[in-house]
Amino acid sequence: MRSLDVTKTAFSNTLRSKMRTFLTVIAIVIGGFTLTVTSGLSAGINQTVDDMLAGYGEEDQLFVMQASAMGMGEDLGPGPQPYDPEAGQQSSTFGQEMLSETDIEFIEGIDGVTNVEPIFFVSPDYLETSGGEQYTLNSLDIPADGPAMELVVGELPERDAMEITIPDTWLTMLDADAEDYEDIDPQIALGETVEIGISNLAFEQETVQAEIVGVSTANLAGIGGAPMPSYALNDELYEIQNSGLDVEQPDAFIQAVVDVDDLEANEQAIKDALQEEGLVGMTLEDLLGIIQGIIDAVAWVLYGFALIALLAASFGIVNTLLMSVQERTREIGLMKALGMSSGKVFGLFSMEAVIIGLLGSVIGLAAGLAVGFTANTLLTGGDGPLGGVGGLTLFALDPVALGLIAAVILVIAFAAGTLPAARAAKKDPIEALRYE
Amino acid sequence: MIIRKTESIIELFMKEGVMSTPVLETENLVKVYGRGPAAFHALKGLTFEIHRGESVAIVGKSGSGKSTLMHLLALLDEPTSGVVALDGKPVTKLKPKAVSGLRNATFGFVFQQFFLNPNQTVLENVTLPLKIAGISKSERNEHGMKALEQLEMADKAKNKATDLSGGQKQRVCIARALINNPEVIFADEPTGNLDSATSETVEDILFGLHRDHGITLVVVTHDEDLAAKCQRRLIMQDGHIVEEQTGASTTTPTAARVPAAPGERPQEQPSRRRRLMKFGKGGAR
Repeated sequence: MRSLDVTKTAFSNTLRSKMRTFLTVIAIVIGGFTLTVTSGLSAGINQTVDDMLAGYGEEDQLFVMQASAMGMGEDLGPGPQPYDPEAGQQSSTFGQEMLSETDIEFIEGIDGVTNVEPIFFVSPDYLETSGGEQYTLNSLDIPADGPAMELVVGELPERDAMEITIPDTWLTMLDADAEDYEDIDPQIALGETVEIGISNLAFEQETVQAEIVGVSTANLAGIGGAPMPSYALNDELYEIQNSGLDVEQPDAFIQAVVDVDDLEANEQAIKDALQEEGLVGMTLEDLLGIIQGIIDAVAWVLYGFALIALLAASFGIVNTLLMSVQERTREIGLMKALGMSSGKVFGLFSMEAVIIGLLGSVIGLAAGLAVGFTANTLLTGGDGPLGGVGGLTLFALDPVALGLIAAVILVIAFAAGTLPAARAAKKDPIEALRYE
Repeated sequence: MIIRKTESIIELFMKEGVMSTPVLETENLVKVYGRGPAAFHALKGLTFEIHRGESVAIVGKSGSGKSTLMHLLALLDEPTSGVVALDGKPVTKLKPKAVSGLRNATFGFVFQQFFLNPNQTVLENVTLPLKIAGISKSERNEHGMKALEQLEMADKAKNKATDLSGGQKQRVCIARALINNPEVIFADEPTGNLDSATSETVEDILFGLHRDHGITLVVVTHDEDLAAKCQRRLIMQDGHIVEEQTGASTTTPTAARVPAAPGERPQEQPSRRRRLMKFGKGGAR
């Protein structure tokens, strides 16, 4: 019997009891669907992260923090910790350990480091529009995150100018009549002057003027969700924040942006040097890699569930084909009597299993893609609940993963078919023809 | 390996046409079912020949071993001991795949229960042996239509097999048995499920093929009318061939002695002839 005839016969056999085949296929469709949606989701999020990475111009940067701030510090156990007077001065309001001047000097001394930009933690009070309205402003984005920011209009604040960007959700402060920020043309914000109010250590408020040069939208990492000052504005605000009392307050920085000469070559050496000092240096890729790691972990859990579904479905195939073999005992007997070898009988029945798997994977993959892309459009579209997240792709096509999913389903289906197929192949033609 | 098998099949075909060569031979054929005290000796050492172009009826009661004998001759089963030779070559030693190939190329089968696939058309049913042989669809259908025309069933080619009457079904079965130009057609109670008028037609067709195309016919039956039309009858009882009759009529039987199994001499009884007469329809199955 030719392979083509085996395939055709197997195909028409699976269509013989349509309801039974359909129900068996459904089980596989569920598994295939879940796998497809999961792979698309993971591909979509990873693509978003990659896009974000690609948005950064300067890639030769390391973000340096205290290791403990990243949860990577030495584990000292849950008991009382010995007091370190220097470190004690350097925690932020949230208890996060911060970098000291000595740390910055140390970083500057590492081979390959060309520039260190310490990041101040600034906590202003309000933002006042030219119209005189005041809005609460307790957090600002860090200027160093600028390259990762998704801008709707305008550009990033100049390093030395008193400039600021605002998130698109803040546009309502410039147009009181608009019901929704999405109705406002972001262009109107550009060139507006705002005043930022901040308290010094003596609780005296001072103000700084800044010009809006860009409108951002929050991306997956949250960057762009708060106003972002220029470096100069940030420095100015920090100066005010730490003034007012006649005491010398040691400078503390939440992180430092380190420019590195030839990052690829020096990355590991610098990271190792930092680690010895209890610091941790991360590239943008490392930072976004954390997000990717979480997404991948979620994806693998979902893959696991889908595989369990497929495993259950494979027993459906076994069951269906066993019934089929039983029902077609005489037909098998006849085919063997007419000279069909046991191998070909095995081939015919395992081909039926593969065809059930093929039907299931085709329908499952198609349904998964359709649902995935529809959901992506609905959720991340302008009016969708995730429409506010800039540059977000929830679902993307990953041909390699799809091919792999189809292959996995076919292999599982074939494996499930071997037991009934072996049964069919083993049948004795005489017994089978006598079977009532 | 495969090439050699094909060659041996071709070789078998090449030998065709030598009337004197037995197409099927057996030597001391024994078939035992089960083991030990429960063992059942279905065949107790049979040695005979079936010549090319012959029509042979294997006759006997149910349990006499006639079906077992047919299965062994048709290479559907393996003997416990003894040899079955096809065209002078013992097949007992061949691998199952080679035996399957031989069956497909050399034999045609007509069964009492027809065994037609109800989901397929008449043409698809008829061409099944060629499909198994790996012949292309167009060629299959061409041969299938020829075989159906030969049996005046061409107009039913596209019908489902279930839509046919009993006689039509059996004609389809004969077409299926014919399609590979077999050397031997095995007919297992071919008229067992048919009324007498239809039986007559089917018998005529079978013997016509035998007469006109020189196909060797091996019929297993307890219908004495059918058996009587065969050139030779092997009467079976308890695993032995107890009598061999030749001639196309039972009225003047020429009893031929068949060598009995060693150490076992079947009792020669005058009642043997009567027994044949008793094999009526519905005697078994």
